[in-house]
Amino acid sequence: MTPIQEFLENLKQTPRHIRESAMRNGKAPETDRERSQSTLHNLFLHMQSVRTDRRSLRFAYTFGLGLILTASFVVLTITGILLMVYYKPGVELAYNSVKDIHFVVPAGRFIRNIHRWSAHLMVLAVFLHMARVFYTGSYKRPREFNWLIGLALLVFTLGLSFTGYLLPWDQLAYWAVTIGANIASSPREVTDAIGITAWFDPGGFQKQLLLGANYVGQESLIRFYVLHVAVLPLLISAFMGLHFWRVRKDGGLSRDESKPAPPARIGDRDLEVFAPTKTYGLMAVVRGRTPVVGRSPEGSVSSWPNLMWAELAAFMFTIAVTLVLSYFFDAPLKEMANPAIPENPAKAPWYFLGLQELVSYSAFMGGVGIPSIVLIGLGLIPYLDRDPRGVGIWFGGPAGRRTFWQSLAYGLTSVIALLAVTVNFGWLRTWFPTIPQIAIIILNPATVIVAMFSAWSLWVLRRTGSIRMSAVALFTCFLAGFVVLTAMGSIFRGPNWHFYWWPSQWPTH
Amino acid sequence: MSGDPSRPFKWVTVICSVVTAGFLVAAAVRENVSADWRGHQAVFRGILLSKAKDDTARATARNLPIEIRQVVVPALHTVDRCVTCHLGIDDPRMTDVPNPHRVHPKKLLAIHRVEKFGCTVCHQGQGAALNFEEAKAEDYFWDYPLLPAKFTEATCASCHDPRALPKGSAEKLVLGMQLFEQKGCNGCHKLNGKGGQLGPALDNEGLKTKHQFVRANLKGSQTNWNWFAEHFRDPAGIVAGSLMPMPALSQPQVEALTVFMLSLRQRDLPAEYLAPDKIDEQYARLHPPAPDGAALYHRYCAACHDTGLHSRWDKKFARFVPGIRNAAFIRAEDDECLAENIREGRPGTRMPGWGPKAGGLSDAEVTALVAYLRTSAPAMVLPPAPPRGEATRGAALFAQECAGCHGMDGKGVIAPALANPVFQQAATDAFISQTIRAGRENTPMPAFGRAGVSESQIGDLLAYIRRWQPPTKQARSQRP
Amino acid sequence: MPDSPKRRDFLGLTALWGVVIAMGTALAGVMRLPKPAVQPGPLRVFKLGDPAQFAVGSTTRVETGGFFLFREEQGFHAISSVCTHLGCVVAHNEGEGFACPCHGSRFSTDGSVIGGPAPAALPWLEIVLSPDGQLQVNAESAVPKGSRFKV
Repeated sequence: MTPIQEFLENLKQTPRHIRESAMRNGKAPETDRERSQSTLHNLFLHMQSVRTDRRSLRFAYTFGLGLILTASFVVLTITGILLMVYYKPGVELAYNSVKDIHFVVPAGRFIRNIHRWSAHLMVLAVFLHMARVFYTGSYKRPREFNWLIGLALLVFTLGLSFTGYLLPWDQLAYWAVTIGANIASSPREVTDAIGITAWFDPGGFQKQLLLGANYVGQESLIRFYVLHVAVLPLLISAFMGLHFWRVRKDGGLSRDESKPAPPARIGDRDLEVFAPTKTYGLMAVVRGRTPVVGRSPEGSVSSWPNLMWAELAAFMFTIAVTLVLSYFFDAPLKEMANPAIPENPAKAPWYFLGLQELVSYSAFMGGVGIPSIVLIGLGLIPYLDRDPRGVGIWFGGPAGRRTFWQSLAYGLTSVIALLAVTVNFGWLRTWFPTIPQIAIIILNPATVIVAMFSAWSLWVLRRTGSIRMSAVALFTCFLAGFVVLTAMGSIFRGPNWHFYWWPSQWPTH
Repeated sequence: MSGDPSRPFKWVTVICSVVTAGFLVAAAVRENVSADWRGHQAVFRGILLSKAKDDTARATARNLPIEIRQVVVPALHTVDRCVTCHLGIDDPRMTDVPNPHRVHPKKLLAIHRVEKFGCTVCHQGQGAALNFEEAKAEDYFWDYPLLPAKFTEATCASCHDPRALPKGSAEKLVLGMQLFEQKGCNGCHKLNGKGGQLGPALDNEGLKTKHQFVRANLKGSQTNWNWFAEHFRDPAGIVAGSLMPMPALSQPQVEALTVFMLSLRQRDLPAEYLAPDKIDEQYARLHPPAPDGAALYHRYCAACHDTGLHSRWDKKFARFVPGIRNAAFIRAEDDECLAENIREGRPGTRMPGWGPKAGGLSDAEVTALVAYLRTSAPAMVLPPAPPRGEATRGAALFAQECAGCHGMDGKGVIAPALANPVFQQAATDAFISQTIRAGRENTPMPAFGRAGVSESQIGDLLAYIRRWQPPTKQARSQRP
Repeated sequence: MPDSPKRRDFLGLTALWGVVIAMGTALAGVMRLPKPAVQPGPLRVFKLGDPAQFAVGSTTRVETGGFFLFREEQGFHAISSVCTHLGCVVAHNEGEGFACPCHGSRFSTDGSVIGGPAPAALPWLEIVLSPDGQLQVNAESAVPKGSRFKV
């Protein structure tokens, strides 16, 4: 072949050669072995292990919540970047830019709705995911640190949702953030009560840091914008990567190791398991005639295709639900932010309404005290419950299930009863108008609830002798409390934070 | 196959993909095919075609692009998309077609070009919207819904002096302005810095949002024009505890006053938008003509004092209102005293101060008012006051003869308040003693001089009454 | 053991294609977002009032519109004053044509390039009579060189 002919032949073959050069094997995988190799070597796929335990794929075990969260995050990032093309973060421009997105930007209304509902779904899913991981004991060794990373992800998720809430710059946003910022300044309640605010004012400091001023304004908007589109997404992505890496390193999703594993599945055949304990780690399983095959104690299936189907299903489910919601319900947008006209009632986003209810009793306890106690308590769970048994079993077994229901009943009744007392009879300041504030900080419905839950949890500890049971009791009580307080804040609180059975009863101004 | 473990996942994926694709397509159709405005533009194309007279016009009509149209007026911070549906708004041929294609009535757009004004500067509403419901924005999270057609002339006042407009342009508004003056609303409400202080100032009434109104008792549409109309019909029914008397107004008068209320706006419009008559109006405000005492009385005093010839009991104030044009009263007072009373008012009662710093009346206006009051009777030369006697004797006499009406504390709910600092400052001893001596005709104040009260007793009463004199101000009788 | 014989996985294929179609539709929709549905600035259609106010033989510079309006015996025409090289505003010299101060492009009286780096002639702009009887120039719509608008 002459050089010119060689040149032309190469030019003609270029499309095929490009395809082949992109894939290390030169072609798409066709056999199990090739699929396993791809899973191991591919940049994106090697996030998964080559084999997945069958039990990890059971819907009723995890409900796919981790995948739903990841899918929501991807949807939020993509829709968020699209919205950034038109959104303008200045107090004069923000509201109108959001209105323009709603009215004229092609697909703007739909994309904005997707972004909003996806955000709410993500916050809901993060709470459900935490509950699932807790109740299946998946925080126990070696997964304690991943639990902490997960808590960090919880905080970042709430932070992303809260910072995004301000950006439309409407009445809803403005007053919700005003409330939120005042919750941040709630340490003032304590420093004022003991008279040291002039020298030590963490509350004021926190508020200034958050808002860049004493009021919610342009400075706050730009800070929230930077946090929402740059800082928090980077942080959450990094921590998500860490979270997934830890899942791999900790041996994959948790499962009940006490029972024998289901048979390994290779191709479309199940194979008996001989060896009860692992003697070596497997990187890849291939078809062949060696005796190694079939003696794997893992009840595993190939990640490609099985795990990938599970992931795809979870992704598409998340997207489908989000799209249906986004088609029928518009993201809310009230009048433009007007500092002269407070919303009444001015409500924080739904996931903070429980806190807002507590804050209405004591600013410090509701804003700083209880959240800190809860976060620290959650963080301590894996280090207080060191019993390695019961991983991968919901509630740890039938006894745990009983404890769960009992704690749920106890939690619901105690919170509802306490709220009924405060609504009908008031609290300390109603009965003793001159009582010092410090007394209220120490003794208020929030602290009473915590005390009641703790008492119950200690009683369960003594009755069952199991730290995990007492943790289940305490967690369930707090979960019940969170649900009741959130419902209270969203439905039953009207203007001036008075109690109303239904919003239709709210007095018009 | 003994059970593909991924089967359920594949089913979920299929169903969710179908749902996803379905809703994506539905959303795309909703935006790009079935949007209301597209239908309107297609109809308008047909109208243009039917009205086309030659081939170029027909070609233009056929090629009319179906797209969003907007009018951007940076000077007014306006982006109005009304023209997306109202394509024929400035086309004079569109008189015989249904809305939204019809031309703007009254040929107004010939003098208010759409490109220069937009639409919402006159009509309010949410200009950014692309469908009528959201453009109208009533019962919606929008501060300024579309003004009903009958109230649109309210916005004329932003650039024009309505009285200078051609007849038929803003009849309701002009009627409203006249009614406002005739009914004496300024007696309680300030406007442009002048007026009473019993009610709120009305300077920006037209730009108040519905959240700034008390709507607890408002039935019907929660808009500010409905609030105005209902409030004019029954003030206390809308605002519990309101002191505003129920004005006797017919329905057209209610509408006229509503339009006037809507027209009260402190807007920051660029100078090029103000009509010359508006500049004249503002100039006239700064250089007012010689004040007319009678008109001033009517505007600021009549609401409480009525004709002023008789004192009256006001049910809402639960207090007596003096007859300030009572001849006997005017005869006894001198001009300086009257002016002081008007300027300072009666702190602690419903009578506010009307001087430049309080009610906003200029010195010239106060003088004109005094001159008007003076028409009831010329000032008389008062006989000198008796020397002040003993306050303790005066107290006993006061309790016996005066306290029944003037109150033991001198606060006088059914008679003038004697313990009032402005009264003490403005009234001379001679005036007080003359009033005790001769009474006040046509009022319940008897002539105690004729009833046997001696001059020395009057002196005692003087001493007692002067006990209420505030220490900081010197009574006029004691000034050199 | 050998790979089991390949059976077509209809469900799997449908699912995969379903995802591809759904995500493809989403991508298509999303791609439409960056192109504005409506231009954000003020309209580039200029109503200039009664045609009679322009004398025959007059040249009017409309700065806000970026064009020159000419009236001659044959009718009206409008020529854009935006240089086709890199967008500077050209000056008009009566009888000679247009000259651009930035890089020295020169145009004849009908807008054709006679010198300098400009790659194309100055466009002639569409003129119509608006429904309310005003002369209306559309600065975004070009017409062939030489077209005149007769009132």
